[in-house]
Amino acid sequence: MSDPDTLLWLVPGFPLAACLITAFLGPALLRRYSHWPTILGALCSLACSLLVLLSLYGSTIDHPEFHTSPHTWFTMGNFKVAFALQADALTAVMLVAVTFCGTFIAIFSTWYMRDENGYPRYFAIMSLFLFSMTGLVLANNFIALYAFWEGVGLCSYLLIGFWFQKPSAAAAARKAFLVTRLGDAGMILGIMLLWSQLGHSLDFTDIFFNARTRADSPYLTVACLLLFCGAVGKSAQFPLHVWLPDAMEGPSPVSALIHAATMVTAGVYLVARCTPLFVLAPVAQIIVACTGAFTALLAASIAVTQFDLKRVLAYSTISQLGFMFMALGAGMKDKDLAVVGASAAIFHLFTHAFFKALLFLAAGSVMLSMGHVIDMRRFSGLRKALPVTHWTFLCGALALAGVIPFSGFWSKDQIFDAVLGAGESSSPFAWLYLILFIIGLLTAAVTAFYTFRAYFRTFHGEEKIPPEAYQHGGHEVADAGHHAAPSAAVSDHAEQKFETYWAQKLPLIVLAACAALVGLVCEGFWHWLTDFLGRATSFRVEMPAHHVDYFLILVSTLSAVGGIALAAWMYYFRPGIAERIAARMPRLHDLSSRRFLFDEVYGYVVVGPLKIAALICRFFDGIVDGIVDLIGLSPRVLARILQPIQNGLVQFYALVMIVFLTAFMAIFVIWFNR
Amino acid sequence: MPIVGTDIFLFLLRHWKLLVPLALAFAAVTMLLPRPRHRAIVWGGVCGLAALILAGCFWVRWDNPVSPEVVLFYAFSGMAILGGVSMIAQRNPARSAISFAVVVMNTCGLFLLQAAPFLMAASIVIYAGAIIVTFLFVLMLAQQAGFSNADDRSREPFLATLAGFVLLGSFLLILERTFPDPKHFSEFLSRVETAAQGRTVTEITTALGDKEAFLMEVKREARRYRGTDEGIKIQQGLDDLMAGWEAREPNAAEMQNALATILEAGRKIQERNSREDLPAENVAGLGRTLFSDYLLAVELGGTLLLVATIGAIAITARRAEKSA
Amino acid sequence: MIPLSNYLIVGAILFVLGMIGFLTRRNLILMFLSAEMMLQGVAINLVAFARYHGNLHGQVFTLFIITVAACEAALALALVLMLYRSRRSLDVSLWQELREPGQEAILDLDAPPAEPMIEEELPKLTPAGGAPASPREDSHV
Repeated sequence: MSDPDTLLWLVPGFPLAACLITAFLGPALLRRYSHWPTILGALCSLACSLLVLLSLYGSTIDHPEFHTSPHTWFTMGNFKVAFALQADALTAVMLVAVTFCGTFIAIFSTWYMRDENGYPRYFAIMSLFLFSMTGLVLANNFIALYAFWEGVGLCSYLLIGFWFQKPSAAAAARKAFLVTRLGDAGMILGIMLLWSQLGHSLDFTDIFFNARTRADSPYLTVACLLLFCGAVGKSAQFPLHVWLPDAMEGPSPVSALIHAATMVTAGVYLVARCTPLFVLAPVAQIIVACTGAFTALLAASIAVTQFDLKRVLAYSTISQLGFMFMALGAGMKDKDLAVVGASAAIFHLFTHAFFKALLFLAAGSVMLSMGHVIDMRRFSGLRKALPVTHWTFLCGALALAGVIPFSGFWSKDQIFDAVLGAGESSSPFAWLYLILFIIGLLTAAVTAFYTFRAYFRTFHGEEKIPPEAYQHGGHEVADAGHHAAPSAAVSDHAEQKFETYWAQKLPLIVLAACAALVGLVCEGFWHWLTDFLGRATSFRVEMPAHHVDYFLILVSTLSAVGGIALAAWMYYFRPGIAERIAARMPRLHDLSSRRFLFDEVYGYVVVGPLKIAALICRFFDGIVDGIVDLIGLSPRVLARILQPIQNGLVQFYALVMIVFLTAFMAIFVIWFNR
Repeated sequence: MPIVGTDIFLFLLRHWKLLVPLALAFAAVTMLLPRPRHRAIVWGGVCGLAALILAGCFWVRWDNPVSPEVVLFYAFSGMAILGGVSMIAQRNPARSAISFAVVVMNTCGLFLLQAAPFLMAASIVIYAGAIIVTFLFVLMLAQQAGFSNADDRSREPFLATLAGFVLLGSFLLILERTFPDPKHFSEFLSRVETAAQGRTVTEITTALGDKEAFLMEVKREARRYRGTDEGIKIQQGLDDLMAGWEAREPNAAEMQNALATILEAGRKIQERNSREDLPAENVAGLGRTLFSDYLLAVELGGTLLLVATIGAIAITARRAEKSA
Repeated sequence: MIPLSNYLIVGAILFVLGMIGFLTRRNLILMFLSAEMMLQGVAINLVAFARYHGNLHGQVFTLFIITVAACEAALALALVLMLYRSRRSLDVSLWQELREPGQEAILDLDAPPAEPMIEEELPKLTPAGGAPASPREDSHV
């Protein structure tokens, strides 16, 4: 069992088996028990991932790595694609995050999706997603990574459009797929460029090795930027961020798993994996950092005015991903800094997975309890009605805001450290990094603000429960009827219990514990995790010694607390003051709540011309169809013309024969007698 | 192979002697075919008569000696043709049957002229005696009134007659090409003979006459008999003649040789065209041939007749009524 | 001596006349007679070739043609009888059912209406064994 080959194949193998079992046997056989293969598969996968992590951690080699023996997938002349799995420190950390969140989110889904018709379908696709995601981080060459990249994109499409009968859900799924496709186009170009320039190989190790001799080459910069395109698409950075808020049409566990914890972090993983390449292309790095910072601020400023709880969390995800990219871009030419930045980003990814998944699951708990109502204006003061959700949401919010000692604090601190280090380095862009640092601090304050705005609006204030809450499942009603009349709700309101299922409460509690403690335990002041990450084979250098920057800690804590305080003042102590402030800045407020009109602009600039092109193509298609139809019609027309020859008269038939025979003979005779 | 309109027109013009009687006959038959109204019998008859007369003028070679054979041939053929026209133009089907009998009689006459007495007898017995009588029986059974509406009308008379006469025209053209006027040929050969006897070039050329016309004539003859040995010889002679004639110094001996070759081939053709007649008493020989060379066919013919008899009975047997 | 081509011309003319008759006339019997006339033309051709070549092959061939023509006549007349029994007429254009579906039958435009079958009044005898109409009629002897 400790044979690395088997272990590595098992990690994606268990979810794949679960998917196949659920897909083939689910609808007919398993039905309401379809969640068991998925949960068991995820648990086993988690166990294997932990084993991998522990084996790598305990290894005495500096940069430990497990490989499986490669199989050739296909060959096309010079282009040889092998298929093998590799696991180093980076992979192991990602695997643990993915499988852990996956397991608990699957458990939560058993409560959330229990009234749905597509129950087996949901779990089958979720298992498929776990398979693709684990495969993505285990892949050892670019093409295998791209294959799994598309796999997670497919699962995202299927799960966002889970309720495909709803037009908005179907549209959102399409949008997600197409927008990420744009990014993927750039990514495959980047992969091909790397293949052609760096020795016609696709393995990570080969490419990173061959790249060392090509520092500062423009090809490398272009290739890195193209790879970053893919990351922009998948991780919803500007300008391809528009799909993520719409993706909230999917069920909340889906949003938690795919659009908070795992899939959107694939872009971060890619850039972290390719750190050896980015280190040699400083221009690409600064672009990455700027994009990240800009996106973070943009998303945060939109999240401030949103009323849909899940949309707030979606923009928060975009913003945090921006932070991660900011850290990844803080490497510059200095390899030490690159390691620091990359490991900071991955650490933030790790903690973000926990607290964002927690926040989304809590939002899902709220949503289902409130009868699929998620508009914050329609409910408030839910802390008595949903106590577990309330406390876990608070844990997550504190982690997101970055309050010590919650996990978000530690990872955000490391990011600021990396960016500040880049700002103080000797590179020509140092001044830009300082600006980015300030933007990051500002964004952190805004993050704390909108997070606690959501918290206060949802859980504090007078208790207001929308009427749909009593018509839907998700709670136990005193009388065993699902459709209690609203008027009866008031009387047995005290007997309503919204949180009765352990499947609803357990994942929240576990993830809240992680959100609170992971940062402290794994990192804290003893830096176990980042040291371990530093041993990833991509880095090849020693992790520099960590120093504790108390000034930085103070500044970041101040920004977080300041944001929380502002939110508390506006929404807890003086509710109502928010509308007055919004009325004083109508244009800004409008722009923010309308998400800076990105969708409208894209609609005009991209979708409009494409629709015209589609019309033109349909016109040409009609011409081609018309020609084919015409060709198909001509035998019929010919037949109509020739049909009267068959009029049933024998003499007519004989006459036709004789006439043609005579004509033939006459022509013959005349020609030969000329 | 572009056949241009002018080509056709010139071609038709060249053979006008053949085509004018044909055209008149076409007009005649079209007018004579039965129609419910406006049937121009008189005009048809006039046209037909004109056609016959012109055919007589243009097609018949009047310089042959007039023997009883010739007279009989033309009589029989004429009456056969008239009977044929009458058969297809009569309204009353019974009269058509009688006309057919007339045709058969005259055909038998032609058989007799060609030394086929047994065939004559067999034809008369079988055709005129059996087949026509059976037809008349059926007619009497079916159409007691004489003629019905259907007999009054023709199906596409113009087109059918046109097709028929164009076909006939092509037959006649082919026949004319294959069997040319023998007088023409002997005239040509005598010219070649006189030229072959000439000693000098000038003698030869004067005997031959117009160079181009003569060469054209030789070419035509070579083409007519192309494929046969004689045709090849004529072609050879033509080539030699042309080589000798168009050389800078025409050689009389060469030209003489060429003309001699042509003459020889021509005489052979003439010889071949005049054959002995078949002896008239050939019934015994016919019988012997039938039962030795064609025995199998005779037996099969007999079986065929048996089968036809049984078939005819089987087809027309009324099933016994099964009604109670 | 009459050259071969003369006989061939006569044969051709008879053949063509027979063909025209077959294509034109609408009476079944007449169609068949025209076919027989075509065979006559062919027979003339064959016998002429027999004389031209100096052997009897042509005559033998003609004999078989006559045989086959006889068989053909027998069977054809049987079939004509069957056709007549169906439609009570010898008109060939009554049989148009094998035309394309959707085509209309080609009818005579100016045909006078079909004459009604005149049922002749046949004399009726009193049934045998029955008494005469007027039993009290005296017989004038």
